[in-house]
Amino acid sequence: MRYYARMAAAAALMASAFIPASVGAQDAKPQYGGELVLTGQLDKTMFPGRNTDAGGMDVYLNACENLVTMAADRTMQPALAKSWSLSDDQKTITFQLNEGIQFHDGTPFNAEAVAFVFNEALAKKFLYVSLLEGLEKVVADSEYQVSFKLSKPSAALIPNLAYRTMCIFSPTAYKAVGEEGLGSKIIGTGPFVVDSYVKGEHVRFKRNENYWQKGKPYLDSIRILFVPDVTTRLAMLESGDVDRAQGVPDFDIPRLQSEENLKVSTIPSLQQNYVVINNLKKPFDDPRVRQALNYAVDKAGIVKSVFAGTGATLSQAPTLTPGVFGFADMREPGKNTIFAYDVEKAKDLLKQAGYEDRNGDKVLENAQGEPLSLKLWTRKTGKGEYQIAQLIQAFLEKIGMKVELTVLESATFSASLSLGPQEAKYDLALLAWTVPTADPDEPMMYMTHTKAWKPAGANRMFFSHPETDRLAELAHAEPDQKKRAEYVRLWMAELLKQAPVIYLPTVNLTEAYRTYVHGAQYMPAGTYDATMAWIDKAAKKEQGISR
Amino acid sequence: MLKLILNRLAFMVVAGLLLLTFLFFLFHAIPGDPARLIAGDSAPEALVESIRQAYGLDQPLVTQYTTYMRRVLQGDFGLSNFSRQPVLQIVGPRLLNTAKLAGWSMLLAMSVSLLLGSLSAMYWDRPLDRGITAFSLAGICTPIFVTGILGIYFFGVHLRWLPIGGMSTWKHYIMPVMTLGLAQAAGFTRMVRACMIDALGRDFITTARSKGVPERTIVFKHGLRNALLPIITFFGLGLGHTLGGAAVAESIFNWPGLGRLMVDSILTRDLPLTQGCIFFFAMVFILVNLMVDLLYRWADPRLAND
Repeated sequence: MRYYARMAAAAALMASAFIPASVGAQDAKPQYGGELVLTGQLDKTMFPGRNTDAGGMDVYLNACENLVTMAADRTMQPALAKSWSLSDDQKTITFQLNEGIQFHDGTPFNAEAVAFVFNEALAKKFLYVSLLEGLEKVVADSEYQVSFKLSKPSAALIPNLAYRTMCIFSPTAYKAVGEEGLGSKIIGTGPFVVDSYVKGEHVRFKRNENYWQKGKPYLDSIRILFVPDVTTRLAMLESGDVDRAQGVPDFDIPRLQSEENLKVSTIPSLQQNYVVINNLKKPFDDPRVRQALNYAVDKAGIVKSVFAGTGATLSQAPTLTPGVFGFADMREPGKNTIFAYDVEKAKDLLKQAGYEDRNGDKVLENAQGEPLSLKLWTRKTGKGEYQIAQLIQAFLEKIGMKVELTVLESATFSASLSLGPQEAKYDLALLAWTVPTADPDEPMMYMTHTKAWKPAGANRMFFSHPETDRLAELAHAEPDQKKRAEYVRLWMAELLKQAPVIYLPTVNLTEAYRTYVHGAQYMPAGTYDATMAWIDKAAKKEQGISR
Repeated sequence: MLKLILNRLAFMVVAGLLLLTFLFFLFHAIPGDPARLIAGDSAPEALVESIRQAYGLDQPLVTQYTTYMRRVLQGDFGLSNFSRQPVLQIVGPRLLNTAKLAGWSMLLAMSVSLLLGSLSAMYWDRPLDRGITAFSLAGICTPIFVTGILGIYFFGVHLRWLPIGGMSTWKHYIMPVMTLGLAQAAGFTRMVRACMIDALGRDFITTARSKGVPERTIVFKHGLRNALLPIITFFGLGLGHTLGGAAVAESIFNWPGLGRLMVDSILTRDLPLTQGCIFFFAMVFILVNLMVDLLYRWADPRLAND
């Protein structure tokens, strides 16, 4: 009996790990009032068009809302738009907007405002413009009806519109103060209004008394303190200076879990580490060699030693993570990850490709006697990237490759990995990619497609394969969800054969918060939505926190 | 005296312009593309190019340089590449915050070190001297990120006496100022002690003692005054260290100062902001040195006649 109870508890824990962390007791009644104090990181401007970082979104999502939102179950939900429809030729998407909404500056929210924001995004090339691919223009049909005109059908547009950076700001304010002005005081329709902002210090939002969703929000204000140092962040949470801290290091989790006033939650992110393989360089133009590289890396070992066993999850599919549309488990039966660690298989594949140890020096050579040596580049930022690179070096050396590991400063690294096929000098480089909108369109069309070779897109591998290109294009245009999911699955299956990169674990995100905070959501994209959060005042007082 | 001040101010202007020139070309010599960093790693080249054009980063280097310098001469340090706010607006308040932190820390460091160093010299080779020497050695050997984090956990998390990050109340000052100030005091104390031992060994001190002047007067009036010259120099140089240390303390205690801003701006290749930060740091440094020179003349009137 006890065994089953424990099993059930473990299963519940597992399940809770894979849904967005919904902070709070569902049965409790929300309480009004109070100030929620969070830690955050705003390095750039507060203007959505020029800041697509999770840290930026965490700030402006309090004040600025989207046409649609994506629920935890991956369905599209209305927000500022109450409904939408697709034309027969699939080249026009028409939105019906909610009526009677005002921006914080009193400007009415209507079709004209929506059209202005997106036409401006196209004209001024806002940072998210690549996610609007195929969008020609946006037209206000009437006061509350707006149409998005596409040059070719795109199934990705609606999910992309839920990306928090595509929120609708006040055109009046934009015209008056420009990007710079909105960069320090964003004006949208959201539940909170920017009250004060000091760059590098804090931003404070107060309740929007005219918010269109009656009875919301619950909090009087939200204060976000910018605390870049993680040790300081955690100390502030433990002392009660703040209510929530993000980016908890994996090795601190057990300690925080033991504190009764804190809750720690871990969710898989949309971010996967991977090693770019330069497909143009020999012998990496051979899929067998690329597959061998994949089999040679012990992914479970990486999760254990770099991420303390909890900070990352073994990948079940190439590029796509469980939160993304079309995700399917692509593991071989009985294996814990794709390309499960298999040294013999790796050696065998290399042998088929013509590489084996011919002179007994434990280094693989080709028929001409040239040793298989390669350059692996990494940077010292990101979650454990340098340690992962060191492990990969060791794994590849174990199967007889010579690996030269180079560590670059992050800005240098970024510049060196943004070069076209002629100039790129790396053989392998460790990176992480994120599926920002939880839609597979970006990885399909923009990360692996032939047209997306650097510098035009984000295909740094210079990978090119007619079948993956074809499937990507089909999925890009397909409005039928079932068919589209099937194209995505076929695309993933083809990637497993081609192995354009070395697939590594999916990074987990960990937050810790005071137990009296309820109703906030930590999303797989790394954004934290506390707009509908509330504070249990009695519990807060009990914990001795009086601010 | 006036001539010295004018000379130094003229030097400041020249040094500032040379520094900006040097930084400008240094920044362009190191790899890293600001437009790429603004757009994000996976942004398409067309977008990066449009940012390059919008920010004038596609212009020839010489054009960028002359445009920048012309603006600087008019008092305009440009806009930050990332936040698009005027550099002066960002740097001004940050400089003030760092000045507050460094100022209070220096004051603490100077008072503590003058007192402890003199006491140490007075009780040379006695238990008090050994105790003070041990304190200063420990202070010199312990980096401030260690003392800072220990302080945070002890006073902030466990005892909950002091707030951890920010600078909104006087309580917020205690930990960063103590951490930075005491670390600095440790080094200063050694210096004051050495100078005082030297001064107290001179003949005029022996004369004063034989005349029956009270020991306290001998040490703090005659001894200290004569030991002051090297001490002033050391304090002046020490301010440089304090500014450097402030960058670390600012990160630990989340102090919105110039040091942290500078480090961040270099990592993001935000050239206008980096230029602004380093320029004002340098100006502060030159001004402090000028003050040290003036203090020198006050402490040793012989110099003023040279």
